[in-house]
Amino acid sequence: MTDPEIGRARASSVGHVPAARERAPYLVAFAVLVALTLVEIGVVKSGGIPHRAAVVALIAIATAKAALIALFYMHLRYETRILKLTVLAPLVAPAVYGLLLMLDAAWRHMR
Amino acid sequence: MSSTAASEHGHPAVAWPPDAQYGSATPGKIGMWIFLLSDAFSFGALLIAEGILYAGHKPWRQPGEPELGIGFTAVLTFILLCTSLTNVLAWAAAAGGRRKQAAQLLAITALGGAVFLVGQFQEWFGIWAPGLLHEGLVFGQSPRASTFFVITGYHGLHVLIGVAYILAILVGYVRGRVTERQIELLGLYWCFVDFVWVFVFSFVYLLPSLSGA
Repeated sequence: MTDPEIGRARASSVGHVPAARERAPYLVAFAVLVALTLVEIGVVKSGGIPHRAAVVALIAIATAKAALIALFYMHLRYETRILKLTVLAPLVAPAVYGLLLMLDAAWRHMR
Repeated sequence: MSSTAASEHGHPAVAWPPDAQYGSATPGKIGMWIFLLSDAFSFGALLIAEGILYAGHKPWRQPGEPELGIGFTAVLTFILLCTSLTNVLAWAAAAGGRRKQAAQLLAITALGGAVFLVGQFQEWFGIWAPGLLHEGLVFGQSPRASTFFVITGYHGLHVLIGVAYILAILVGYVRGRVTERQIELLGLYWCFVDFVWVFVFSFVYLLPSLSGA
């Protein structure tokens, strides 16, 4: 790489990735995010879904929506594995901790 | 390091090649990600605190407290999703050299953020209809009320800062002082606001409503 090439690559970050500049993936991600939000509202408003199934569904949908935002809108899918791990690995601990707390609350509720 | 600063120290500017681990991600981008990670921990702590309080207080919604307006908040959620799209499209336009379109999309993003804030103000204090405060959800009077105002307020503060950040970048971009790289960093921040809202919407509004709160 010559100095100007290095400069351009650094200055543009993912801007040098042609796929990142295409609009279609962003529009598809948006459509999926809106659809998932509507499903969330449907889960809450329907009332016919068992409570535990609704809780699991809402948490799963929220996680999927957050992943879509991070991967597409925040360009994480174009980053290196190390950068992905730098961002995602520290989030595992609070996520597991939150999940354990929810399981504990559910267990206490059953007693 | 700029060539001027480098020459002042008696050595030529050093080209910084793409890193073996972080590729072409700039130090600014890595710094922004680490900042956002620390911010995510703040939100995570608040949501976990809400979960602990929720588990220990039955019923969660005290007598006289209003229900949260899920339909209205879903509209705010939609607006925030739209702004994430316009924001990333603004970056794509800037990366493709379409400067006017990029500036317009940034302006729309800022406007969407402002509309979200107006919506949140309505929800709290009321503008065209009574707000939650008038309906009996008062900070400090129940764990539900306190966690609601602290978490949505903290998120609203992020939106407010984000709108100011977008406007600052927009002005700089129009004046030619801001590049697509700064717009991408702004995008990381703004989409993080949306990222966090996904969990706030689920844990503050949707999940408690399953139990009638």
